[in-house]
Amino acid sequence: MRDSVTGILSRSPSTTVCALAAQALSMVSDPSVVVLSGPKVAMVQLRIQESVADTVFNGGEVLVTETRLELNGVFGFGMVIGDQPEYATALAVLDALGRIDGPHRAYMTDAVADLARALTTKHQREFAASNSTKVAFDTF
Amino acid sequence: MGYIAARGGTQAILNAELLVEYMRLHAASDPIGIDQIRDQMRAAVGRAMNEGALYAPNLAALALKQSEGDSIDASFLLRAYRSTLQRVMPTIPARGVDIRCQRRISASFKDIPGGQMLGPSTDYQIRMLNTLLMHESTADVQRILAEYDALIAQHADTDERAGYFPKVVDYMRAEQMVPFVRDDEGAEPFDITRTALTFPCPRSARLQSLAQADTGCLLTYAYSSVRGYGDAHPTLAELRFGALAIAVTHPLTGEPVCIGEIVVTECEIVSKAHSVAHNQERPYFQLGYGFTFGHSEVKAMSMGILDSVLSQAKRNGLSGESGPAANEEFVLLHSDGIEASGFTAHYKLPHYVTFEADLKVLERAVDHVESDALNPHAAHATTAKERL
Repeated sequence: MRDSVTGILSRSPSTTVCALAAQALSMVSDPSVVVLSGPKVAMVQLRIQESVADTVFNGGEVLVTETRLELNGVFGFGMVIGDQPEYATALAVLDALGRIDGPHRAYMTDAVADLARALTTKHQREFAASNSTKVAFDTF
Repeated sequence: MGYIAARGGTQAILNAELLVEYMRLHAASDPIGIDQIRDQMRAAVGRAMNEGALYAPNLAALALKQSEGDSIDASFLLRAYRSTLQRVMPTIPARGVDIRCQRRISASFKDIPGGQMLGPSTDYQIRMLNTLLMHESTADVQRILAEYDALIAQHADTDERAGYFPKVVDYMRAEQMVPFVRDDEGAEPFDITRTALTFPCPRSARLQSLAQADTGCLLTYAYSSVRGYGDAHPTLAELRFGALAIAVTHPLTGEPVCIGEIVVTECEIVSKAHSVAHNQERPYFQLGYGFTFGHSEVKAMSMGILDSVLSQAKRNGLSGESGPAANEEFVLLHSDGIEASGFTAHYKLPHYVTFEADLKVLERAVDHVESDALNPHAAHATTAKERL
């Protein structure tokens, strides 16, 4: 899931994702966007599957922004953690564009691959910092 | 007796609110930015989110500013705001094994797969005030960031795991140190925000309740059980802190949709006390589970200890039957900081009618004692009804 397209898009810089959506949308001829709902600030109930008895419990709520729209009659859904209306709408546009054939698809594939590489680099940097605190124990 | 009406309170209340703002700002220091609180008061933000049961770092920072740092008041503000929001859907159950760890330690095993990373922690520092922070400058900030970059350059690798590790409890299960227990509650967990708790309650209700409980309260109950009012003997199997990706179900396709990451702390507590339970065919260690928003290790561990203690009590084993922390109803009904503080604070509100009744009781008691003193034989001759 974390390596999926949404896993990459939802963890990349919002401005980059918004620019990606705008560019991809511009490659569609006569785009018609109808916002069905949102962008609205709401919450999702966080379900946790814990590791002792596999009990699923409600760990609290997470503030999200959600947008639902139709792009040339194709449904698009965007949701992101936090109060980020442009980001949620961009994700909804990209979701719809992913189900529409056209030259934008190849552009999106390349752009997501770039974002994935940047995300991997960011995570490796963070991990390198944490890894510098790794300890080795000696038994006397 | 009747109601006692008061007039003229509105302006007094408005003026009182103005005085609060004055107290916050009268020294003419620069107003604190929300981003400063969010970034530099991580522990306070995490606590407000935990106890407010809403993951929203910006709003938690705002709540802390508004409450002048009062953690219970900040969580109250968040939980009140939460009640105004629509809950659109549940997430797909997230699991701790998917946490991208920045910190991961075990007190049970020194060698765990992937190794132990101390991560961002002050556990190993001497508790001395750092007076240099009183004069922290932009140059100091730049220096720290440069040191961080140098650290990364020194330890850079292309490890594909990038912080994802197997769970220590899975290793313990494989070695038959802990039992394979599967909850049979069903797919839909209990929701204490929709249904009032009744006892005995399902484990999902317990975990939800503990997750939003007051940190200090959980710490106190867990400590009581460890120190002497109970017989818990916890050991930390694993504690991890890091980022957890969250997903929901796409409303059209039904496929998982990742919506971003949240910062969480998770731990498993091993309890050796239950290894002597009489109703087990094979002795095992027992486990307790802790989970919090943000970086809240003491709360996560306290939750894990209490989960273990309460599970043992419920199973009616040899251990865990003693001590207040083993009483699920007592623990869960008194550990919500917002409920507890609200109930306590309400005693500041006018209680003129009830107190007037108390005064009358006091007057009668005084009369009774004085009449006894003046004429002890006569007082004892009358009945209680006659005296009233």
